[in-house]
Amino acid sequence: MREIAKLVLVLGLICGISAGSLATVRTRLADRIEQQNDLFVRGPALELLLQQPANDILGHKLTIDTPEGSMVVFYSQESGTVCGLAIETIGKGGYGGDIAVMLGVNMESNKLLGLEIIKHQETPGIGSQIEKSAFRNQWLGLPAHGPIQLTNEGGTIDGISGATYSTKAVIQGSQKALSAYMNSKDQISDLIQQSDAADQTQLDS
Amino acid sequence: MDLVLLAISAIFVNNILLAQYLGNCPFCGVSKKLSTSLGMGAAVIFVATLASIFTWLVYYYLLEPLGLKYMQTLVFILIIASLVQFVEIFLKKFSKPLYNALGIYLPLITTNCAVMGIALLNIKHEFGFWEMVVFSISSAAGFTLAIILFASIRERLFISHVPSFMKGTAIALVTAGIMSLSFMGFSGMVN
Amino acid sequence: MSRFLSVLLHGFWKDLPPFRLVLGLCPALAVTASANNGLGMGMSVTFVLIFSNLVISLLRNVIPNKVRIASYIVIIATLVVIVEMILQAYFFGLSQQLGIYIPLIVVNCIILGRAEAFASRNTPFLSAVDGLSIGLGFTMSLTVVGSIREMLGAGTWFGMSLASAEFEPFAFMIKAPGAFICLGLLLGLMNAFSHWRGENVIQK
Repeated sequence: MREIAKLVLVLGLICGISAGSLATVRTRLADRIEQQNDLFVRGPALELLLQQPANDILGHKLTIDTPEGSMVVFYSQESGTVCGLAIETIGKGGYGGDIAVMLGVNMESNKLLGLEIIKHQETPGIGSQIEKSAFRNQWLGLPAHGPIQLTNEGGTIDGISGATYSTKAVIQGSQKALSAYMNSKDQISDLIQQSDAADQTQLDS
Repeated sequence: MDLVLLAISAIFVNNILLAQYLGNCPFCGVSKKLSTSLGMGAAVIFVATLASIFTWLVYYYLLEPLGLKYMQTLVFILIIASLVQFVEIFLKKFSKPLYNALGIYLPLITTNCAVMGIALLNIKHEFGFWEMVVFSISSAAGFTLAIILFASIRERLFISHVPSFMKGTAIALVTAGIMSLSFMGFSGMVN
Repeated sequence: MSRFLSVLLHGFWKDLPPFRLVLGLCPALAVTASANNGLGMGMSVTFVLIFSNLVISLLRNVIPNKVRIASYIVIIATLVVIVEMILQAYFFGLSQQLGIYIPLIVVNCIILGRAEAFASRNTPFLSAVDGLSIGLGFTMSLTVVGSIREMLGAGTWFGMSLASAEFEPFAFMIKAPGAFICLGLLLGLMNAFSHWRGENVIQK
């Protein structure tokens, strides 16, 4: 009996210490891991959409609440005024699962700055054509009040033949981002002002 | 995703041993005789499927809701190690013939990267439950296929003349390379 | 002192993994498509190996024999998760490239093998030295295999372009079959060299 108690005690202690040390390392590094993740996964898309170095934009990260859940929004500034937004959403119903897309919107002209695919698992050669610029460029310059639709539904987007699911998932994702933008414009402006104010106080102090 | 295609892809195109490099230690170690590799293959199919189901459930119903995704590696290896122990005790008690057939391979499986690898790949590919089950069984079956084919080649190799410095693991690796090359021929089958 | 030297040096030739100590083949095959990945993997394994040997040696009189393998696994897995997080935080590109092979260090037989064969019966200092030696040997092997495969398969070394435009890289080398064949031939070459030096260590 005493032997078993000793076994359990030693194993339990080792597990406890290792869980504790992992949690410590995790809390130390969590922010940096997220930052790196942003830089490498979202950075390239952000640079293309907003035409600024990724490091300038990544600090400008907001999370907005919409009826469809919370969304991540990045914004770029030029001489103090906000010019571009990049909204990240998940398009449901792709052939290989969800597709993460990022939609750029110009806040002044209310036109789209373009579309980037962040993450997808579509079939190489078929569904993966959503990554091609010929397909994505169709979003460039569209009005922000939408709607984004396929040509056979009365819209302007030519689908990819053989990749209906992939196309629809991308359209669904970008439409979601657009409606979030139209509905939460004020919320976004408020949040930007708040974070600017916070930055300012940090600089002052 | 089509489950049949997934199975074919896991067995032939992305064979876990010859294309993903997982499970090479037992591959070179136990594959000297056909009978032992059959036993090892069966044990891997059994444990890998059970382990994948457990790790998948724990990941999506425990680790993810609790925000402990980073503990994945630690939790998975503990699940696999205790599962192997449990299976061993269970078989010993309730199925003597199966225990006699698989028993000696079970301790080796804890450190078989194929089992842990399949569990990790299930999470990486974001599989649903049934996709996960099919993928695990067929990946392990792919492992078994490769190890059985390889054992047959090695039995033949045993009686052929191999330069002395290439004997043993060296020639085994080169043979595996040629087998892997022939498995690449399947890559056009499924995208 | 001579014991210290022999422990320090045995990982570089006498017990050089994965050639002499035929353990840890999976990472040696999987991540050596480029020299950089091989080096990164080797360094990660070295880190885990030094600390796992150290901790296990410190605890060698505390851990009861019956649960020693379970305890070793917990200790090694903890260290591997720490490496995973450090890579994600400071070497993100590398951690993406190495993918699932980083968590798979847990089941790398070298680490459990050294814990069982060396750290569980030697002093903490010597065990850490053993970890360093075996780890650096492993790093060296992986970097060499990675360099050969990268140079032949892509015409580059650590990403630097080496070959002239006429050189047509044979992509075979950076695919799976190239990995097996390259490692097999290197092992044969090492055996031949050992034989020539009069050592009797051919792997069966």
